[in-house]
Amino acid sequence: MIESTIPASICPRCERLIVPPAARCPDHGTRMEAATVPNTGEVVSFTTLHSAPEGFRSPLHIALVELEGGARLFCHGQETKGVKIGSHVAVENVDSVYYFSHMGFADRARMFWRRAGARGEKVASISKSLVQGLFKGRSSGQS
Amino acid sequence: MTDVWIAGAGMTRFGKRNETLPDLIAEAAFAALADARIDEPETIVVGAMNPEEFTGDGNFGSLINTHLGFSRAPALRVETATSSGLAAFYAGFAAVASGLARTVLVVGGEKMSHLATPRVSEIIGRSIDPHERRYGTTMPALAGLITRAAMHRHGLTLREISQVAVKNHANAARNPYAHFQEPVTLEAVMESRIVADPLRLYHCCPISDGAAAVVLTAERRAVRVAGIGQGTDSIAIRYRSDLTSFRATQVAAQAAYRMAGFGPERVEVAELHDAFSPFEIISLEDTGLMAAGKAGRATLEGETALGGRLPVSPSGGLKARGHPLAATGIGQVVELCWQLRGEAGARQVQHARVGLAQSIGGLATNNWILLLEAAR
Repeated sequence: MIESTIPASICPRCERLIVPPAARCPDHGTRMEAATVPNTGEVVSFTTLHSAPEGFRSPLHIALVELEGGARLFCHGQETKGVKIGSHVAVENVDSVYYFSHMGFADRARMFWRRAGARGEKVASISKSLVQGLFKGRSSGQS
Repeated sequence: MTDVWIAGAGMTRFGKRNETLPDLIAEAAFAALADARIDEPETIVVGAMNPEEFTGDGNFGSLINTHLGFSRAPALRVETATSSGLAAFYAGFAAVASGLARTVLVVGGEKMSHLATPRVSEIIGRSIDPHERRYGTTMPALAGLITRAAMHRHGLTLREISQVAVKNHANAARNPYAHFQEPVTLEAVMESRIVADPLRLYHCCPISDGAAAVVLTAERRAVRVAGIGQGTDSIAIRYRSDLTSFRATQVAAQAAYRMAGFGPERVEVAELHDAFSPFEIISLEDTGLMAAGKAGRATLEGETALGGRLPVSPSGGLKARGHPLAATGIGQVVELCWQLRGEAGARQVQHARVGLAQSIGGLATNNWILLLEAAR
């Protein structure tokens, strides 16, 4: 759930990314090409709407999230407690609606390791030995 | 290009009104024609954002010219969401400036207070990008996001934002045409209920009915159109890289100043589009009337109050004079006309010769800046 991709489109002229995919670049009128973007990013801003429009429950938590690569999208959230501008979030599509969830330290660490793993055992083993070295160093320092 | 002059101005009181929209428009139109001492306009431009949904009326240009008794005067209906009033003004200006017409009646109006608030919000919300609307993003929700980003980025405070509402209510208390006639305290604004965090109820404009009209002419009169400019941005907020300033205002202002041949330093009174109080602060900076990051503090220090260095929205603004959508932009022009002619009564800005009006369409997707100058 933590790491996946989101369908997007990219302008061949200005390379801007848009979510969900659009037929034409809003600035250049050029036909956009299919692309994907990571489902993680940062909160640009957020609000809690206390008088939600028809068809929505109040309070309604809405965030604008900038995904890695620069595409922005609106998301719903279960809550905005603890969320700040700049908070790292993961975005998930449930029944064609994107939801954001706050990524704690553990989530981000897990994501880092998973990515490191995906780039080959070499990265993982280097990281592993680094951590082991750190652990050894610390324990020797304490004794 | 022919010089364009404002021959006459008139408006209804804004607020909750029982009259029909065509009747409100007629009241404003005949007030402007009487002020201009013109019996019959050559052509008519009608600004209306959403009469189809609010009142069920269509073919609005023809409905209005017939209702006014000028069914032989060619009528055109113009729409750019919440800035439809200044868009209609632009169409009238272009007709006179190009020599296509000698006198044009420009009128705008909206009636919506007869509908329940959630219904009105939903209809106005249709000016938001369809994908973003699926997330329940109403205008207050988007304004809430923008306000939080501005507070985070520019250090804008809730107190500074709230002072805009206090100042505009104080001005409206001196304006018999305003929706609200009572001043409010800073505490009342800051303690009003939260609508879209961090925006509170008293930071949001009310739902108003009303109409406003001006008569434009190629003949020399007291007030000249010095410059007008339009600026746009994508309807999708997620396509924009900057939330805390509006490109549509900046571009419109540059175009208007270029046409006028002068810059913001000559503006002595302004009517700005404070649909949400923080928008007045953002707009002061987008128009170049104040330096970036300075407008919040200046508002708190009274620089934009009546008697301040640059009085802003002496009418009471959208917050307190009211916001009957397509009437709003033309209502700003009416107020500036009265100010430049020295007829603004208890809210008169002394010796004002140049005025600026700003109108925001949608969530700053289609904005207008107008510069008016008193004849020498």
